[in-house]
Amino acid sequence: MSEVSAKATEKTTQQMALLRQFSVPIALVALVATATAVQPSFLSPNNIQDILTQTAPLALVVLGQAFVILVRGLDLSVASLMASVAVLATAFNATSNVMIPLIFASAILVSAVVGLINGLLVIKRNVSPFLATLAMMIVLQGIRFYYTQGAPSGSLPEGFRFLGAGRIAGIPVNVIAFTICFAGLAWLLHKSSFGRKIYITGGNPASADLVGIRSDRVTITCYVICSVMAGIAGLFLMGFVGTVDNWVGRGYELDAIVACVIGGIALTGGRGTLWGAAAGALILVLIFNIVIIMGLPVQAQMIIKGIIIIFAAALFAKAIQA
Amino acid sequence: MIRLDGITKVFPGVKSLENVNFEAKAGEIHAILGENGAGKSTLIKTIAGAYIPEEGTIHFAGQERKWATPKEAKDAGIQIIYQELMLFPELTAAENIFIGKMPRTRFGTIDYKTMYRRANETLDSLGHRLDPRAPVRDLSIADQQMVEIAKALIGETKLLVLDEPTAAISGREAELLFECVKLLRDQGVCIIYISHRLEEIFSIADRVTVLKDGQNVGTHDIHELDRDKLVAMMVGREVNNIFPPKKTPNADVAPVLTVRDLRAPPKVKDVSFDLYAGEILGLAGLVGAGRSEVAHAIFGSMPRTDGTVTLGGEAFNAPTPRDSIDRGLGFLTEDRKGEGLMILLDMAANVTAPVLSEFTTTTGLDRNYEVQAAEDEIKRFRIAVPGPKSGVYQLSGGNQQKILFGRWARACRRVLILDEPTRGIDVGAKVEIYEIIRKLADEGAGVLVISSELPEIVGLCTRVLVMREGSVTGEVVSTEISEETIMHYATAASADAAQGAAR
Amino acid sequence: MAFTNTNRPTRRLPLDPSLIVVALLLAAVVAVGFALSDRFGTTRNFMNVLEQAAALGFASLGQALVVIVGGIDLSIGAVVTASTVFMAGVVDLHPALMIPMIFGTLLFGAAIGFLNGFAIIKTGVHPLIVTLGTASILNGTVLIYTLQPTGGVPFWFEEFAYGRLGVIPISGLVMLLCFAVVWFLLRYSKTGRAFYAVGGSPEAARLNGIQSNRIILMAYSAGGFFAALSGTYFVSRTGVGDPRIGDPMTLASITPVILGGLVLGGGKGNILGVLLGVFLISLISNLLNYMNVSTFIQWVIQGLIIIFAVSIYVQKCKKL
Repeated sequence: MSEVSAKATEKTTQQMALLRQFSVPIALVALVATATAVQPSFLSPNNIQDILTQTAPLALVVLGQAFVILVRGLDLSVASLMASVAVLATAFNATSNVMIPLIFASAILVSAVVGLINGLLVIKRNVSPFLATLAMMIVLQGIRFYYTQGAPSGSLPEGFRFLGAGRIAGIPVNVIAFTICFAGLAWLLHKSSFGRKIYITGGNPASADLVGIRSDRVTITCYVICSVMAGIAGLFLMGFVGTVDNWVGRGYELDAIVACVIGGIALTGGRGTLWGAAAGALILVLIFNIVIIMGLPVQAQMIIKGIIIIFAAALFAKAIQA
Repeated sequence: MIRLDGITKVFPGVKSLENVNFEAKAGEIHAILGENGAGKSTLIKTIAGAYIPEEGTIHFAGQERKWATPKEAKDAGIQIIYQELMLFPELTAAENIFIGKMPRTRFGTIDYKTMYRRANETLDSLGHRLDPRAPVRDLSIADQQMVEIAKALIGETKLLVLDEPTAAISGREAELLFECVKLLRDQGVCIIYISHRLEEIFSIADRVTVLKDGQNVGTHDIHELDRDKLVAMMVGREVNNIFPPKKTPNADVAPVLTVRDLRAPPKVKDVSFDLYAGEILGLAGLVGAGRSEVAHAIFGSMPRTDGTVTLGGEAFNAPTPRDSIDRGLGFLTEDRKGEGLMILLDMAANVTAPVLSEFTTTTGLDRNYEVQAAEDEIKRFRIAVPGPKSGVYQLSGGNQQKILFGRWARACRRVLILDEPTRGIDVGAKVEIYEIIRKLADEGAGVLVISSELPEIVGLCTRVLVMREGSVTGEVVSTEISEETIMHYATAASADAAQGAAR
Repeated sequence: MAFTNTNRPTRRLPLDPSLIVVALLLAAVVAVGFALSDRFGTTRNFMNVLEQAAALGFASLGQALVVIVGGIDLSIGAVVTASTVFMAGVVDLHPALMIPMIFGTLLFGAAIGFLNGFAIIKTGVHPLIVTLGTASILNGTVLIYTLQPTGGVPFWFEEFAYGRLGVIPISGLVMLLCFAVVWFLLRYSKTGRAFYAVGGSPEAARLNGIQSNRIILMAYSAGGFFAALSGTYFVSRTGVGDPRIGDPMTLASITPVILGGLVLGGGKGNILGVLLGVFLISLISNLLNYMNVSTFIQWVIQGLIIIFAVSIYVQKCKKL
């Protein structure tokens, strides 16, 4: 009898593993099918391009968030950083596209510093990640509002609009940017030895130190990567929206975490792929679109998001327990 | 008092209980003996209601009982003192003693006055003074154990289980504990005493049950047994032939590792020794004596305040684990799952973790080379694993340990520090591990073996250092090596040393 | 049997050191206040601070109970918002329901908290994620209902926020009462001690026969209950249900908890420290207002205080 029950648990374990393995493609297919059923034009090339354009900024944030979650962290400051970077861009009051590289460089620099501070607080001061990044969120928000006094002004070079919403040969520019970032980060995470160090650190920081891996440096680097990606995403989202206010990217912190969780990045660290995280972003945007085309109010997205994150996290939590 | 019939408990991938029958009477001290992984912990958790067995029945105080939660077993009068004490560090000693049944005033609130008074009385009756108002986190391990025992006294405890209670306390404190346990027995409490220390069993137990591989090998009165019989029951074969032959290393050459006046507060106070290439040096002592901390301080995973270390003739101070690994010093830690194995990664990644740079090319990690290296280790140590790309979590303890041997033997060839290298693995795998250790020494590595299993130290090492409270108190060589001499240095010195040691 | 006495009872401080730290900080802020502004040190001002501290006090009290059992509640702000909208919305349609709706709102908050606890126990997902999810669901629901402040309550209900008993504000008094009751229960009831036991070590609590799940459910329900009380206070103060009013409360509720010496991860801390933390934050904010420091800079200061707070006590928290 005991053997039977052991086999039964083994079987459910296998089923759970299978479910986990294929949950992302199944969800993608199901969502596209649902959307096409509701709106037959959903799969038109134009609509697909629109969806990808909408996905790209979120997906950029998700790539970064994935690195932080892989090392057992969490970054709640990404959305606030996105808006701050957008305000920073207006601060140049530039009109010429020549300024764009300079704006990008300074945005990346500021983001990197923010990520470094997050990482140092978590590693050196032992502040729990959600608290450190929550504090960072409100600090950035305060600085940003103080600078703008509530209403951002200043102009942006036209080129940002092209970066955020333009197309090259039919391919959205921000999707191209995403692809480049994805390729680079995927190599870093899945092919380089640094990526292996991330998985070792995330799986178990104590054993990482004991095999000579500086888990503290690895973790801090992940926070920097996350913030830099959020900064880049902020500029692209600003270009996509076309205007700057103090809330560019509002809600993206939760969206990014939800996308990672659906994509199979375990909140306990050390588990999940960048492919999964990117797919998670796409799934989330598809869900948002279905909410819209079904005529539901936009805020229903928040409800669905909340439900998904609890259920997706539960699915993976159960799988890990087994 | 308690009778278990045909208890079977299964975990996926973990050693468990198979059709165990067991019985203990009121007013006796019944020892359960067995190696790590023999099923002792599972058995007591079953008695405690923390595990529900798949098969079998439990009779307690004459009735068949099926515990659904630990609370039911506790309410029935079963008190367990786990190896890892189940106390609440932020609550006071008295609150811990009365947890779940604090005295109340007539308004239903907690009656602190009565609680502290009764806690004092109880502790007094144990002959042990400690402040019942002190938070448990401020108490020594021995005091914390007294709190656990006091818990047993205030309830209607019919059955008290002690799981390896002497693992973390020294000789004199253990004596005190034994007196308390005997006191309880004489009051008619049934006591189940779990240990793997034979000496203790002979001085305290009335009857002994031996568990091996999840099965009951036999129950005997203590005077029917002697040491050899017990050992034979525990390991299931003659002890002598499980160890490879000893070889005395060539001591004419310079030592590969010298350690002088090593200090790493609070656990390491004064440690000096030499380790020669080809030597298997033992480091013995009670749990908490600072053995693992010595290893950490040498390896660089714990800061040291003083002392000089030379590795292969070069001074080697203030290292990091990275430096140690690069210089050929490897450290296999005692906590295999917590600090050693990377359970989320595949077997190959586990092997190459300390030397990733060796596998890194301009295009990233060379996965083929890595897999090939792992294949080599599988062959070399006969690791029973489906392949380099398979996971490590489901493997047996022995095979997991062999993977870690593959990791460290591959990365570090000069010195290997092995902390409890056979903890929690079965006898067959132990024999293989011993052969591996011998082979690594023969290949020229200096091996430092830290172990709480005295037979292992005795059977394996040509020289043994004994530590007590942070210092090396003795060195035992060749024919002098025996469990008695080691225990002497590990504890006996306490009589005179303790006078001076202010707490 | 002659046993030697090896352990002399040690003398310990009568108070928790973290209480002393926060009390000293409080004294420092008061001293600075007296030095910088002559309006600061008046009874009138202190009573105003006590009145304004109530919203934060209720929310922090709820958060503290969750933190003691080893959890965290990031849905506090959303519960505050939802309860204001729920209360003001219903009472606007049926003014006669004002008094029953006070209890209804508190029950609503407790129910949300209960669901949080239930989901955490059943799914094994980290409380951070579960409560973040709950917050999103609640905020979405509220924003579908209204994007603008809405509803209304009878005028007399403002007595709760603004009314005075002599010079003492009623809301402040209620807050002090709540802290006193919770302090008493934590210290003198069996269940209260179990809160600390569960937070300190859930496994040890289980093996010692404590029903951890029940304690966890109680803690989260209390968290929701007090968040709803905070919402009730806001309705009394503003007269409407505001779909954004709770947003800052989540983070704000954590700050006094940490300042008061509670440890994320649970099992430790005195609820009176949280009360002092609430006063400390409220006085700092009061003082900054006197000094005409903009709200935006106050946000920055709030973030820095959190980081400072976790840095003064070495936090041995569970990660995530």
